Amino acid sequence: MHNGDSTKIKASILREVYEDNLRIADPHLQPIHNRYRQGIKKLSRPVPLLFVFFACLLFYFIANTGQQQGPGAVDAVTIQPVFPWAEIIYKQQRLQSPASTVSFDAGRLLNYDLLLNHNNIRLSAIFGLGVQTIVIDPGHGGKDPGAIGSNGTKEKDIVLDIALQLRDRLQKTGRYKVLLTRDTDTFISLADRVKFANEHHADLFVSLHINALPQKEFNVTETYYFGPPSDLHTLRLAEQENRGSEIMTGDFKDMIKKIGNVLKEQESETLASTIQHNLFSNMEKYDRVIADNGIKIAPFVVLLGVNAPSVLVEISCISKREEETNLNNPEYRQRIMASLQKGITGYLSQRQTQVVKGENNGKKIHRKNT
Amino acid sequence: MAKKSTAKTPENKLLVGIDLGTSRSAISADNGKKKWVASYVGWPRDFIARKVVGKPMLFGEEAVKHRLSLDMYRPLKNGVIKEGTARDEEAVKELIHHLITLVQNAKDAEKIRAVVGVPAESFKVNKVALKKAVAEFAESLFVVSEPFAVAYGVGALDNALVIDIGAGTVDFCIMHGTVPAEEDQRTVLTAGDYIDQQLFTFLEERYPEADFNLNMIRRFKEQHSFVGESKENVEVEIPVEGKSTVHNITDEIKRACESILPAIVESTLELIAKFDPEYQDAIRENIILAGGGSQIKGLADYLETTIGEYGPTKVKVVEDPLFGGADGALELAREMPEDYWTEL
Repeated sequence: MHNGDSTKIKASILREVYEDNLRIADPHLQPIHNRYRQGIKKLSRPVPLLFVFFACLLFYFIANTGQQQGPGAVDAVTIQPVFPWAEIIYKQQRLQSPASTVSFDAGRLLNYDLLLNHNNIRLSAIFGLGVQTIVIDPGHGGKDPGAIGSNGTKEKDIVLDIALQLRDRLQKTGRYKVLLTRDTDTFISLADRVKFANEHHADLFVSLHINALPQKEFNVTETYYFGPPSDLHTLRLAEQENRGSEIMTGDFKDMIKKIGNVLKEQESETLASTIQHNLFSNMEKYDRVIADNGIKIAPFVVLLGVNAPSVLVEISCISKREEETNLNNPEYRQRIMASLQKGITGYLSQRQTQVVKGENNGKKIHRKNT
Repeated sequence: MAKKSTAKTPENKLLVGIDLGTSRSAISADNGKKKWVASYVGWPRDFIARKVVGKPMLFGEEAVKHRLSLDMYRPLKNGVIKEGTARDEEAVKELIHHLITLVQNAKDAEKIRAVVGVPAESFKVNKVALKKAVAEFAESLFVVSEPFAVAYGVGALDNALVIDIGAGTVDFCIMHGTVPAEEDQRTVLTAGDYIDQQLFTFLEERYPEADFNLNMIRRFKEQHSFVGESKENVEVEIPVEGKSTVHNITDEIKRACESILPAIVESTLELIAKFDPEYQDAIRENIILAGGGSQIKGLADYLETTIGEYGPTKVKVVEDPLFGGADGALELAREMPEDYWTEL
């Protein structure tokens, strides 16, 4: 690098650092002229077509909702810093008309109700909540063996083995921090499991269980997320899994209030369905008559208390003799683990395509007092 | 390289560069002082603990030593301050304050002008909180992403890729003559701490009778880490039933260190491939390894060979991984024009 070049580059970099830091103090500041150039440079780079397509689609959607907006929803929202795609579009606008203001009045563009109630739009995608910490919760443990097969195989051992493998596999990708509520054969109350997940700021919570049915010839795979029970069978199962939760009724009532959490429910549902889909396609290869009970809603304490999107997987039924034999086979367990991993990463990548990661985890949506 | 210090620092001002790391934090000041501490902050748990440790707050190794009496915080674990954790924010603040007092000359000390390098992910997510945290102790300051500070320090401003291998994260950052934008940066979570975990598991499997803890594991890693082939065996002393016994851990060290390689190679290739094709070769020939992980023996050679399959590759290691970030930040502070230092 020539000395002159280097000095020039340094001067421009120092200026950018200065302007960047000014913007930290005041995010409404206009981007500097350098940014325009950078913007042009970046736009000339090959941008994946899919990305642009989604960006336009979302922008079109938000712009359209603005027309239906009544008075008194959201006053004014600065959208620009939240979505990188918005920044690109915004940069284009700025390039065309440098005199326009930075933060445009999004009160006209965003209808809060619509945002919350529209099924096609996922909140996590809007606010760019990326996943970092996955908590896997192998059910039961220690004095609580969980379901027991007729040959004495215990639910607690099977789910622990699968969970340990799942942790290692997910961790190898380098993308997530994966924690287990227990990595040994110890008893942990449901309340402590919930506490663990919340204390470690779990972004995703997956509880692993194995079912046992009175009808020993049946084998079923199902995945739950929190909600009022959909049928008697589910209620019975919830009672079974909630036993020993050590959570008081008062706390439970408080927790119930959380059901209104739209984001969590939406995400939990999607997570449940990707896991269920992958798990079932795997189980079907081994047991042709295994039933796909799909995703269900149930009031499991662990699912309610954890702040993050959470699901409970009932992998299969140990009460069926053949299934018990299968579960004792390490290779079989590894397949189950792989299908769970596929489900989780499938969900995450699905989210990745929708998540256009926002700065500050979406904090930069400002309400203006107008 | 441009000549140092374009602007003369006014009297009674102290310029500092701070590298706020997940595992270690370092400070370099223009009075020549350099210090580092482990990024731990601990508050005594109760009044008895307060009496035992004799201080209202402990930092670094001292905090680790007294950890049983303390509420311990490693505020930037995983590279970010978790949202809503007031204590973590406070810990960051105290850590910065502590670093500054380490290099200040006297009590009535100079006014501080600081450039603070923080993990890339944290820069993205927490820059407002971080700026607030430093604001109390500095007259004026800038927050930048850590790999950028390293790049600035070694003068790799154009067509370069900095890979900063820390404890909690590996940060990647492409430099192309401007302050790197979000898409020029990448963070993966399999870093130094992950190697420790892996090594712990491998040793537990191979020597179930040996008695060791995570601190010892970290020490083994720092002394012996390598990837690829090693001519010598790595032998360490680990107690077995109270008796110090020599164990061969060559394979385990190698496996643990190599466990972070796939993610590093993948991210490097991905970042370069996304960049303007005309400049990809130039970047591949200017890869810079920084952070504690850059000290893994054989790492630069391994990356040169593996990434070399995609075209000529050169990988350099920064001279001083402990102070690379802080020195880079100080360099930025020195060269920052006087009128950019606005009072907070």
